[in-house]
Amino acid sequence: MEERKTARREVDLQPLRRILGERYRPRDHQEAQELVVGACQEAQHLYGWVPPQAAQLIAEHLGVTINRVYGLLTFYADFRTEPPGEHFLWLCHGAACYVAGSQKVVDALRTEYCLGEDGTTPDGLLTVHVFNGCLGACDLAPVAQLDHHEYIGQLDVDRLRELVEELRTRRVAGGNDGTLE
Amino acid sequence: MGRLSDRAAFEQYAAKARARWDRLWSGDQWVISVGISGCSIAKGALETYRHLSLHLSEGHIPFVLRQVGCAGWCFAEPFVEVKLPGHPPIVYGWMTTDRVPELLDALRRGDLRPDWALGVRAAEAWEGIPPVIEHPFLRRQRRLLLEHAGIIDPESIEDYIAIGGYRAFLKALFEMTPEEVIAEVKASNLRGRGGAGFPTGIKWESGRRTPARPKYVVVNSHEGEPNVFKDRRLLESNPHLVLEGLLIGCYALETPYGYNYIGGEHALALQRFQRAVEQAYELGLLGDDILGSGFSCHVRVRTGGGAYICGEGSALMYAIMGQRGQPRTKPPRSVEEGLWRRPTVLNNTETFASIPAIIQNGGSWYASLGTKESAGTKLVTMQGPVKYLGVAEIEFGLSMRELVFEVFGGLREGYHFKGIQTGGVSAGPLREDELDVPIDFEALTPLGAMVGSGGFVAFDESVCAVDFARYLVAFSRYESCGKCTPCRLGTPALVEILDRIRHGFGRPEDLDIIQYASKHIIELSLCGLGQVAPMPLLGMLERFRDEFIEHITERRCRAGVCPIAAREPLGVGG
Repeated sequence: MEERKTARREVDLQPLRRILGERYRPRDHQEAQELVVGACQEAQHLYGWVPPQAAQLIAEHLGVTINRVYGLLTFYADFRTEPPGEHFLWLCHGAACYVAGSQKVVDALRTEYCLGEDGTTPDGLLTVHVFNGCLGACDLAPVAQLDHHEYIGQLDVDRLRELVEELRTRRVAGGNDGTLE
Repeated sequence: MGRLSDRAAFEQYAAKARARWDRLWSGDQWVISVGISGCSIAKGALETYRHLSLHLSEGHIPFVLRQVGCAGWCFAEPFVEVKLPGHPPIVYGWMTTDRVPELLDALRRGDLRPDWALGVRAAEAWEGIPPVIEHPFLRRQRRLLLEHAGIIDPESIEDYIAIGGYRAFLKALFEMTPEEVIAEVKASNLRGRGGAGFPTGIKWESGRRTPARPKYVVVNSHEGEPNVFKDRRLLESNPHLVLEGLLIGCYALETPYGYNYIGGEHALALQRFQRAVEQAYELGLLGDDILGSGFSCHVRVRTGGGAYICGEGSALMYAIMGQRGQPRTKPPRSVEEGLWRRPTVLNNTETFASIPAIIQNGGSWYASLGTKESAGTKLVTMQGPVKYLGVAEIEFGLSMRELVFEVFGGLREGYHFKGIQTGGVSAGPLREDELDVPIDFEALTPLGAMVGSGGFVAFDESVCAVDFARYLVAFSRYESCGKCTPCRLGTPALVEILDRIRHGFGRPEDLDIIQYASKHIIELSLCGLGQVAPMPLLGMLERFRDEFIEHITERRCRAGVCPIAAREPLGVGG
């Protein structure tokens, strides 16, 4: 928990500043408003979440209030206003995955791994985002996506346990291996 | 290649593109195409591509390695198409990395590996490999939108122009007035593909009649439903087709402002559409004074942040404006007051993609496809344990039975068909004895089912009707924007009742409360999401009432899914 709080204080805004300067140059206030969500997505892409400093920077850059930015961050499910764990698991809970039994995986995650309100395990190892839409890889259902690139198909409770164990082992062996930084 | 200055310059460019395209397919080199799309990446297509590149560069054979989009056959991903000199292109499915060297070795020996082939992309069979269009998955399809999906490189405007792309836009721009364009769209009887089925031509006409300016044309590529993935496959496979439809729409409305709102989680679709827009700008098909016609058009891409409600028209417009995506009451309709309170025409991705063919071949040609009330073709996706999972394009009028058991091949071995959920989360399911109904906008309604956006879920006996209904209503509960009370409080109430039943504490009167509460939500909700939220539950309840009663009176879940199943048996009345 301490580590995560430190992460909150130290955010390098330089890359975000560069992206905003290059690609987020609204012609007028109307376009500036249209760009807020996109800018927040850039921040989330960079940091894995939208730190308050980044939200502030976006608000200043686009000339909108910070309230406006937070209004959007808290409305849209994709955005995180808390730092995620070391690994990020996107668990598809679309209909194909449901029919193939993803509900059991979702339930197991909640009960066995004591996920907090933000979907992160108490040890900060893993953040799980149960995705209500469809990841579009239905042939692999139930499917999950680890750290935004690695797909795990035909997921069941046993495979999930294996996966979490594997991440734990990796963490012990390689220290900081696989962080979002 | 700089901006094209006029129509003649475009024709020149197109002729060159076509010549290059023909040379590609008639040359002495091997042409190998790998389908790279959302579903195939998940199944390792990028690795397949890398392995192919590695193994091919080791050999001494001249080759071209290309990426193409998705051809709809998710079940056979990753797929690779091989065109050897003197042979027609052969499509191979399930091309995982371990098969790559084996396939290449076999091909070098002159062995075409018919056992791995899905089919040959030609009209006739070739050395024992049947045409791919005769594959059971494709035989009953009618492909207009997906015609070139999986064949052209979605990141190449040259490929698109080589196969006749942007011709419809040029035809509209140089040979037709905006009124004539709208007349063709009206004559085509094209209806909105997002679910509601509103006639597109009439929408465009009302947008055109509203005098306020500027006007906006918006593509809805949000696609946030849990059981449909057609729009993103279309954008991943042929983004220029959607862009061309949007351009024609802007021309018909005489406005220079086009938008595409794409769900933020569809990263590849977003990336490829953005690329398409950049290419169109570079070539002068977007921008000011397009091809010297005097018409200007600018397309902006906006992304969503994962809220289902933003698929609703007015919510989507608020989302584009950088506000919380919540719907508003109508009237005014969005063709009168939409984005930035200006007249806005909003249509689904698939609707726009249908436009170029209508302009090219005429409205009456399009109207002759499908049924009288529902013209043309529809993209449908099927999920669940079916044999040929993927995206299909069918003519309206095909029966549900043909769709499930022919196009998608029925359920895989060992699964026993129980029902099919229709219309995303907005309608009820169908049982097997009801499947002879034709697929169109009207025929399914009396059964409480719906074509909707074309997302179907086949489910088998391992799925409990109560639990499935709970899943579908819980989705609406989670995605309710919270603006109006019936939906905000009503959907959780329904979930609560269903949870009670699932846990074995259901009461006989619960079924009446469900009906009563549902009626309230349907009649009093502000927007489409709330008005249809209880529909899947009501459908399930009607079709599988005995299962609900079994849960309540016998405290038993026959599928063994509900928490009730894991409890000590209480005994009847215990």
